[in-house]
Amino acid sequence: MAPLKPGEVSMGTTIMAVQFDGGVVVGADSRTTTGTYIANRVTDKLTKVHDRIYCCRSGSAADTQAVADIVKYHLALYAAQHGEEPTVKVAASLFQEICYQNKSTLMAGIIIGGWDKVDGPSVYDIPLGGSLHKQPFALGGSGSTFIYGYCDKVYHTDMTREECIEFVKNSVSLAMTRDGSSGGVIRLAVITEDSVERMFVPGNELPSQYLG
Amino acid sequence: MTSIGTGYDLSVSTYSPDGRVFQVEYAQKAVDNSGTAIGLRVKGGVVLAVEKIKHSRLLVPHSNRRIMTAGKYIGVASAGWMSDTRHLVKRVRDEARSYNDVYKTKIPASIIAERLGMYVQAYTLYSSVRPFGVSTLLACMDRNGPQLYMVEPSGQYVGYRGCAVGKGKQVAKTEIEKLNFDNMSVREAVKEAARIIYTAHDDTKDKLFELELSWVCEESNGLHEHVPQDLYDEAVQYAERSLDEDEDEDNEMEDDEDL
Amino acid sequence: MSPILESAAGFKFDNVKRNQLLSEKGNAAPRATKTGTTIVGLIFKDGIILGADTRATSGPIVADKNCEKIHYLAPNMYCCGAGTAADTEFTTSMASSQLALHSLNTGREARVATAMTMLKQYLFRYQGHIGAYLVLGGYDVTGPHLYTIHAHGSTDKLPFVTMGSGSLAAMSVFESRWRAGLSREEGIELVKDAIEAGIFNDLGSGSNVDVCVITRNNVEYLRNYVMPNERVEKEQSYKFAPGTTEFIVPKPPATLSGEEEGTAMDVSA
Repeated sequence: MAPLKPGEVSMGTTIMAVQFDGGVVVGADSRTTTGTYIANRVTDKLTKVHDRIYCCRSGSAADTQAVADIVKYHLALYAAQHGEEPTVKVAASLFQEICYQNKSTLMAGIIIGGWDKVDGPSVYDIPLGGSLHKQPFALGGSGSTFIYGYCDKVYHTDMTREECIEFVKNSVSLAMTRDGSSGGVIRLAVITEDSVERMFVPGNELPSQYLG
Repeated sequence: MTSIGTGYDLSVSTYSPDGRVFQVEYAQKAVDNSGTAIGLRVKGGVVLAVEKIKHSRLLVPHSNRRIMTAGKYIGVASAGWMSDTRHLVKRVRDEARSYNDVYKTKIPASIIAERLGMYVQAYTLYSSVRPFGVSTLLACMDRNGPQLYMVEPSGQYVGYRGCAVGKGKQVAKTEIEKLNFDNMSVREAVKEAARIIYTAHDDTKDKLFELELSWVCEESNGLHEHVPQDLYDEAVQYAERSLDEDEDEDNEMEDDEDL
Repeated sequence: MSPILESAAGFKFDNVKRNQLLSEKGNAAPRATKTGTTIVGLIFKDGIILGADTRATSGPIVADKNCEKIHYLAPNMYCCGAGTAADTEFTTSMASSQLALHSLNTGREARVATAMTMLKQYLFRYQGHIGAYLVLGGYDVTGPHLYTIHAHGSTDKLPFVTMGSGSLAAMSVFESRWRAGLSREEGIELVKDAIEAGIFNDLGSGSNVDVCVITRNNVEYLRNYVMPNERVEKEQSYKFAPGTTEFIVPKPPATLSGEEEGTAMDVSA
């Protein structure tokens, strides 16, 4: 787990992914920082690695972009060789391989979410050391520490698509207001068998909450 | 083979003037001299059967198996040089493991066949190496159901419902073509496989042989294993009885002619 | 290190430990010339406008008062560089030659995303040791594209960007005045103002404004578009009247008077 180098662009971040019956909702804030300066206030931390597989990136922007690019390439190769779409598990496994083998030089916490015809919707979490966890929902980034309790309380296993979207909006919004490194807008993607729907909530239209 | 003996059969890196690589064809001959091996793919699984010719009565029964398991759910039956087979089985095991390391998923049959095919083909390119004298039958159950592939010394690989290699392949193929793959249980396929191996066996050339039978199916939990002893015995009985009936028929026909 | 592993190219890290020890004892390593810089780019109605100041510094010294920071990449692409001057210079020229070969191979105009990917992968490989901070802009078959690329290899795609030590000053100008669908004139004016904000408010930036306008089939490189720091005529004359300082004219020595002739050479046999 390499610490951030001086001048390196980091994503002090809030990211999350939640499974529901027909798909997965992934969400993230949009802040990218270099030290105390916001290098990008409308970042898209939800990165497509295949048709129905997205990853949420946290940590070093350079590292996570490089890893996502490599996995994207391998998944395209997999689809060509196998003549069928890769599963989310395959994508997560590729991410893990790279994150674990290069753990001493990488600063990358990644959540993978997507839909495939073998397992349906699934969410995988790869935190800093490079371990791999299959979970019904996952949180990540510096902002996540502020909302674990909230998420554990609110989450339940049989949430609908709409409930999941609200859950992600509320959770990320709470984290964004308490974590200095998270902020901007909320970006969302709803991944189902039929489509990937991208949405976003502007920073001035966040769900209402106590703002002091 | 008119161009034999003109020097074009010495190396795999030289084509003959009519566009053939004789070393690869000779490797195929090594396969053709081997005891018969067959594979049957039916709805619920795949069956492999081999006629293992014994050159001595002193051999321990069930030793030197010609059907091997490469990674729990992958069956490999081969015809040709056993030493080459063992090398290829190791290759299949390594490929299956490395695939699993990267993707955390069972390797599909099509990918094993492709990778093994690429490996075998590489040995038809360089003058410093000799092609493998083996045809390999790959049996496995993957996400898309039961699968059966055959990889030849040239590196060519094809997926089959039923296939045969070795000495008795002509006889075996004729028998296989008569089968109704759609309406056959795996247990029935095991018995048919035994019968076909017995039918293809030529008693006048090789006296001693041992039948090997294996399967990959739901009953074996998707794993590749040699069939249970009771089923094996049942299959052998069935095979022997069929042969006797055939002989009786032949005899009857001879009698008819006498009349 | 065995001779066979020695390579003429790339970095060597053999002296890391030694240098660490030296710097602990107060002998700091020499530093490379860094351009305290303001570079910017924006998307306007018909394409991309890039801008840069022209000051190069080495520590507190202004090393070059009118350098070029907008580098050529391809006929349809230019790239502003901040950070270590040598690194931006070499990184962009390397990318430029690779892109030229790429276009020759594919028989097509190179895409901006291709240049971006080349640069980010190159910079990522060197883990930030190549100190090139870039603003990449260009127009290809898929339209106008604008990226920032940081030395560690991360990239951002945005409609208006700034980089370098003057980026904060320049960004404040963009954040207050940029909008979608700016005209060419408005765009150039905004870029000029953003760079001037850097020139006047950031110590590391200064001198003149370079601008580059990239559209579908045209590039206009406006070198020294504005020169807000030109030396002007002095308001008063500081010349001294002749005769202010007295001086003596010494008499030249007689031998140098030019009157005297040398002895003629004896040429008799």
